[in-house]
Order: sequence, then C-alpha cells, then structure tokens
Amino acid sequence: MSADASLWLSFVLIGLATTLPRASFIVLGGRVRLPSVVQRALRYAPAAALAAIVTPDVLVVSGDFAPLNPKLAGVIAAVAAALLWRNPWLPFIAGMAVLLGLRALTGG
Amino acid sequence: MPSSSFRAGAREGFLGFLPLSVGLIPWALVMGMAMTSAGFTPVQAMGMNLIVFAGTAQLGTLPLIGSGVPLWLIVVTALALNLRFVIFSAAIARGFRGVGAPLRWFSGHLLTDGVFANCLEKMLKVDDPRWRLGYFLAPSLWSWFLWQAFALIGIFAAGSIPKHWSLEFMATIALLVLLIPLAKQRPMLVAAVTGGATAVALRGMPLRLGLIVAIVAGICAGFAAEHWSKRGDEA
Repeated sequence: MSADASLWLSFVLIGLATTLPRASFIVLGGRVRLPSVVQRALRYAPAAALAAIVTPDVLVVSGDFAPLNPKLAGVIAAVAAALLWRNPWLPFIAGMAVLLGLRALTGG
Repeated sequence: MPSSSFRAGAREGFLGFLPLSVGLIPWALVMGMAMTSAGFTPVQAMGMNLIVFAGTAQLGTLPLIGSGVPLWLIVVTALALNLRFVIFSAAIARGFRGVGAPLRWFSGHLLTDGVFANCLEKMLKVDDPRWRLGYFLAPSLWSWFLWQAFALIGIFAAGSIPKHWSLEFMATIALLVLLIPLAKQRPMLVAAVTGGATAVALRGMPLRLGLIVAIVAGICAGFAAEHWSKRGDEA
C-alpha cells in the first residue's frame, strides 16, 4: 500500500472512531435506554469534561504544574469579564489582552 | 421548504451559539497550520479535516500519523480521545426523538463539545422535534463551516502567522465561557473542580486517557455532591 493510500485509510478509520461514538446513542435512540441514575449522573458530563479539557491547558506549562503563568491571569480576566458584563466578545478581548500584555511585559 | 418551527429553532440555536463560535476560529487555523507542518498536502489536510471533523482527535493523532506508529494504535488513540462523545451522545439522545435515522446519523457526525454544552438543556426541554432539529443543526452546520473555512486559511497561511500570538488561547477562553453558567450550581461546580484537578494530576497518562478518568471522576463527584446536599435538606 502506498504512503498516500495508507494516509487516507488512517483518515477514514479516525473518522469512524469519531463519528461512531458521537452518533452511538443519538442513533440508537429509544431502543437502548440508560438507567435513570446514569442519566442523572450524565448531567455532570459537560461541566466535568470542559474543566478536564481546559484546566491542564491553563495550569500546566510544558508538562509541569505551574499555575502562576500569564495564561492563568488571562483566564481570570476572561472569567471576570464574562461574570461582570453581558457583552459576549469581551471575555475574548480581555483574556487575550492580559495574556499578550503580560508576555510582552515579562518578555516570556 | 423547512417548516417555520424548524426555522425558529435554527434562528435561536444559531444566535445563541454565534458569540461562542469565535473560539473555533483560532482552533481551526491552528489545525490547518499543524497539518501542513506535519507534511500533508493541502488536499490531504482538507481530506482529514472533512472526514474527521474533530479538533481533539485530529490534533491528538497528528503526531502519530506517519511516524511508524501502527494504525490500530492510532485508531485506539482516536477512540480514547472521543470516548466523551459516547457520554454526550447518551445525554442528548432524547432530544432527537421524532427525528429519522438518516438525520440522526448526520446530527451525530456533527456533534461537538461546544454545541453539546450550549444546546443540551433546550434539546431535552422542548417538545417540537422540528424545532429541536433546527436548534441543533444550525449551530452545528455553522461550526462545520467555520472549521473547514478557517482550516483552509490555516493551511495556506502556515508560517505567516507568528506563533507568539497564541491564537489557540481563544479556544481555551471559549470553553471556559461555556463552563461558567454550568458551574453556578453547587454540584456542577464540584464536578468541574474535580474533573479539572484530576486531569491535571493524571496529565502524564498515555494516550490522554487521563482525560477520560477525569471526566468520570468529575461526574461521580457531582453526583455525590447532589446526593449529600439532598440528604442535608432532609435532615
């Protein structure tokens, strides 16, 4: 198999490994039901997953736990902007400004 | 011609998600640049982007492709990165009652973290299946369009956007903005803090399996917090 063909095969298999988990219960629908205890527990999935994806991005710098970095300051600014004002673009502006500003000041 | 309730749902879903969708733009740009720097031709890069349509799975498998890692391990890695979608799919499945199988497959293919977090509540509350379908598909198709368009720009812009701009930080901000309204309830906050702390503690686990463990730990912690707060009320 050529390098190009094996590359496309890997794309298709990664695609299947993405679409099948995503479509699983949406497609099965009413035929398979999760117990209500599991359903109640699943309400916590988004909060747990979002935090699990984001937190290492913010608190880990090249593999080490290093909470005091410009990203944390940027995140605090973004969260404060989201809590204080209704403007939906403001968290992005505040977060990026603090991150890039601090990096420019510290030369990091 | 889509029904008026489909269009009403689509409008509400699209407008609600629009501000959050800016977080996809840097993520897609970074994705396009990363695939180009991995040695893909523009056709191969867009092929992967169209077939897979998943930032975490694409970025996570990219270093393994073409590096001598066997194909099965690449697929297992992709599955591990995508396990959370089984949980998401089960949680939102009830929102697709009254929708036919082809559209369920199509919707499943388009399911992303952002749309899930943004749309779950109303998908479970609203009765009209056409409204729900519009409410889900409009932000999903918008995400798909942004993902393809800005990955394409990233593929051709690779090398000309300075890395120190850290545009990918906007994706982090977008995920946090999604998290804030959830975390206003006490058990949800417990779930988030536990999930985040566990993910940091287990960051060294291979294949990013720590992410799965962290999600499960967060769900358990949130569920336990709900249980204990109820018992506190009864006492």
